[in-house]
Amino acid sequence: MSTVHEARGVTHDRSRGHARTSPDLIATFPFPFPQTTYRYSTNVEPGRAAVSTPAGQWGEAVVDIDSEYHHELAERARILAVDPSRYAVLPHMHVAAWDAALDLMRELALTHPDQCDLTLLERGARPTYRWRNDLLGIDHTFVLGDTDTLPPEHPEPLGWIAAQVQEDIVLLDQRDGVLYGDAGVVTFAADWSFGFDVGMTFLEIHGPVPRLHAEGVITRAHEFLKRLEPGEVYRRTNWTLTVGRRLDVSTELYPEWGPDREWVQTLDDEDFGRLVHLRVEVQHLIRLPESGAVMFLIRTYLLPLADLAGVEHWRLRTAEVLRELPDDMAEYKGIAKYRHRTADWLLAH
Amino acid sequence: MSAPAPPHYTSVPAWAREPVVEPVDHAGTSHSVLSVGPDGAAAAAHWLDALGCAGARVRHHDCADAAQAVDALETDLADALVGHRVLVAGSAQACLAVRAAAVRAGLSDAELRVAVTTVDERSVWCVHCHATNSAAAELEDVLACAGCGRTLLVYPHVSRRTGAHLGFMVDAEGPA
Amino acid sequence: MSASLSLVVLDAVDAAPGVRSLSLADPSGATLPSYTPGSHVVVEIPAGEGRERPLANAYSLTGESLHPDRYSISVLHVPHSDGGHGGSAWMHTLGVGSQVQVLPPRSAFAPVRPASRHLLLGAGIGVTPLVSHLRSHARWGAPVEVLHLARPGQGAHLDDLVELGGDAVTLVHDRATWLTILRGRLRAQPMGTHLYTCGPAGFMDTVVAEATVAGWPAGRVHLEHFGIDALAPGEPFTVGVDGDVLDVPSGVSLLEALEEAGREIPSLCRQGVCGECRLKVGSATGLLHRDLYLTDDDKAAGDCVMACVSRAQPGADGRSHLEVLL
Repeated sequence: MSTVHEARGVTHDRSRGHARTSPDLIATFPFPFPQTTYRYSTNVEPGRAAVSTPAGQWGEAVVDIDSEYHHELAERARILAVDPSRYAVLPHMHVAAWDAALDLMRELALTHPDQCDLTLLERGARPTYRWRNDLLGIDHTFVLGDTDTLPPEHPEPLGWIAAQVQEDIVLLDQRDGVLYGDAGVVTFAADWSFGFDVGMTFLEIHGPVPRLHAEGVITRAHEFLKRLEPGEVYRRTNWTLTVGRRLDVSTELYPEWGPDREWVQTLDDEDFGRLVHLRVEVQHLIRLPESGAVMFLIRTYLLPLADLAGVEHWRLRTAEVLRELPDDMAEYKGIAKYRHRTADWLLAH
Repeated sequence: MSAPAPPHYTSVPAWAREPVVEPVDHAGTSHSVLSVGPDGAAAAAHWLDALGCAGARVRHHDCADAAQAVDALETDLADALVGHRVLVAGSAQACLAVRAAAVRAGLSDAELRVAVTTVDERSVWCVHCHATNSAAAELEDVLACAGCGRTLLVYPHVSRRTGAHLGFMVDAEGPA
Repeated sequence: MSASLSLVVLDAVDAAPGVRSLSLADPSGATLPSYTPGSHVVVEIPAGEGRERPLANAYSLTGESLHPDRYSISVLHVPHSDGGHGGSAWMHTLGVGSQVQVLPPRSAFAPVRPASRHLLLGAGIGVTPLVSHLRSHARWGAPVEVLHLARPGQGAHLDDLVELGGDAVTLVHDRATWLTILRGRLRAQPMGTHLYTCGPAGFMDTVVAEATVAGWPAGRVHLEHFGIDALAPGEPFTVGVDGDVLDVPSGVSLLEALEEAGREIPSLCRQGVCGECRLKVGSATGLLHRDLYLTDDDKAAGDCVMACVSRAQPGADGRSHLEVLL
């Protein structure tokens, strides 16, 4: 067995759940059910617009920082150290990697101007920038395209920026009318393998998802992405349930987290409500200017049922959606074994 | 013909499910013909005839296995010019491996033709231990991983860059 | 449709006979949005002075694409006798300080990043998007070769080509020589090369025909048609709703017109993709769908449209009108 498995034992002790959820994680939770039923759709909408919820609001920031920032960045670093295949940049993607780093720095500076700042020191073919991220004690001057000017511990732009944002990043190259997932850092995958999928087309990557193709959702999304222009930001949400506060439910680790789907059914009500989480991905879609690549950001939010139930609308709506969800979709989302108990739990609390 | 591919088999080429012989692309100005194994050589013979009749520039490599064909392809492509085409004849497993090398070298699908003699064997990459298994398996069959011993589901999901199918543990969730 | 930018002319020079190069900047001097090499902007040209209605002309951007302090374009004057509509003539009247409305850059001719080498084939004013490509390739150290055809003493941006491309640039002044060189170069490109061409239609037809003969698959050949890839502003039409009749002018979408009239229409993407703003159609003189959501069958049925991108088309009587059912 490879080292991927030998380090498994060090799974973070918080993966089973927080003792108490930090209030900001409830206030900014992107509740994903605008309707009483859920079906796949090309549910893209312009980004940057705030969405009010009964508990607060979300959605203004493209790159969101919350109280989990340091913890999740440490978790990403740990996962990358154990399994480097979660990071990949195919050779032609180095331009897109620089593009992504610059764009994400700009986004961080936009939403956290007191802690983050990107200054263009010198224009030209190879601009020079100063990047400051006080949250991580970074103050660094670098030259676009010159990896020698990056911090020695992060000698590659995508790796450097991935160590500063909670979002997973996938970069899609567009050529001959097709998008290819040719680079990225994905440590918090929900039941897919970035390392396997790298180099595949957008349509191929989404192949295994039932209904998506038959309903034309993916081809429409593909057409939409191909027409994105630089500066445009769109977003969509996706969701599932996860047992424990476990960000990394990649296919790689399936043997580790798969048994939880059985085990969760044996829990008493209190543990069930603490351990079953509604997992929501806020995905942002951004066209990067210099490379022409599409940047796909995937930010994962986890909220235990116990906290979800604290908001009346969330409690009832989630139960309603889970009850009605067709079996094949529940099966694909991996929640078939406990979605009805989850709905019942919510209705009873 | 078999039934049409399920809509979600997007990454599995039709020729990896059903043997097929694609025709020579006469728009090409030069060609590498790679045949893998005796069946591959037989399948490539009519390509070579067609190209011979047309007086095309052809490099033919009769290879014992896919690895040899990949080596031959990489050597050919090192000094090939635009206008070149690649034709691969052999098992689907060999054709997928050679296609992967072609993709890594920047070839487009339009520059590659295949003659698939059999679809019985597949390469299956274990997502858990990263071992690549070679086995007689249908899509959605299971097999024991030679690397970690887990029982893997042969998923209908094929990598362009390696030519392998995704394999993951089929019984991870324990007793149903 | 993206909101247009109000820019002022910072610089205007006659770069070559019949070609005027303009630099457009934000009046405050702010940095303009970065763009993908090979992008164009669409300049809005007002009606009047012989132009029956407003025009929208696309021009390739030739300057620095990263953090630009200006958008640089070069405009060839196309006289009426050559099929011009008066847009380029208006562009040639612009001087320093003139104000223009410009739609943000759009990319329809981007360099293919996995290419191991880029062969740029231009003619005349078709040099403009290729200069932009060349800047990016110089930045990233990508192997490149340029073959450019220009009449003696008439080419714009030739100095840019030489400065950016050096020895990789071949300038040719007559078509026969160009064709000979082209045939040789098409047969000498390492596998992995992509070809980009921009110039008059006849010129590009020749490039495509010669490339095909030399065995180039279509996926390695990229053309810039000087076209507008963005959705055109469209012709005006009228929409009937609950007995009211609203005007939908050119450049305004059906969705926007209905919203302005106080109608609430659910919408998300505003690009004809998400399906949210689908409206039932009672009757129509004709429909121009332009969306990516409806199936061909839906479109043939003609009983629904996507309000964000679809428009009415003229019927037999020349009138463009549709009735929607909210």
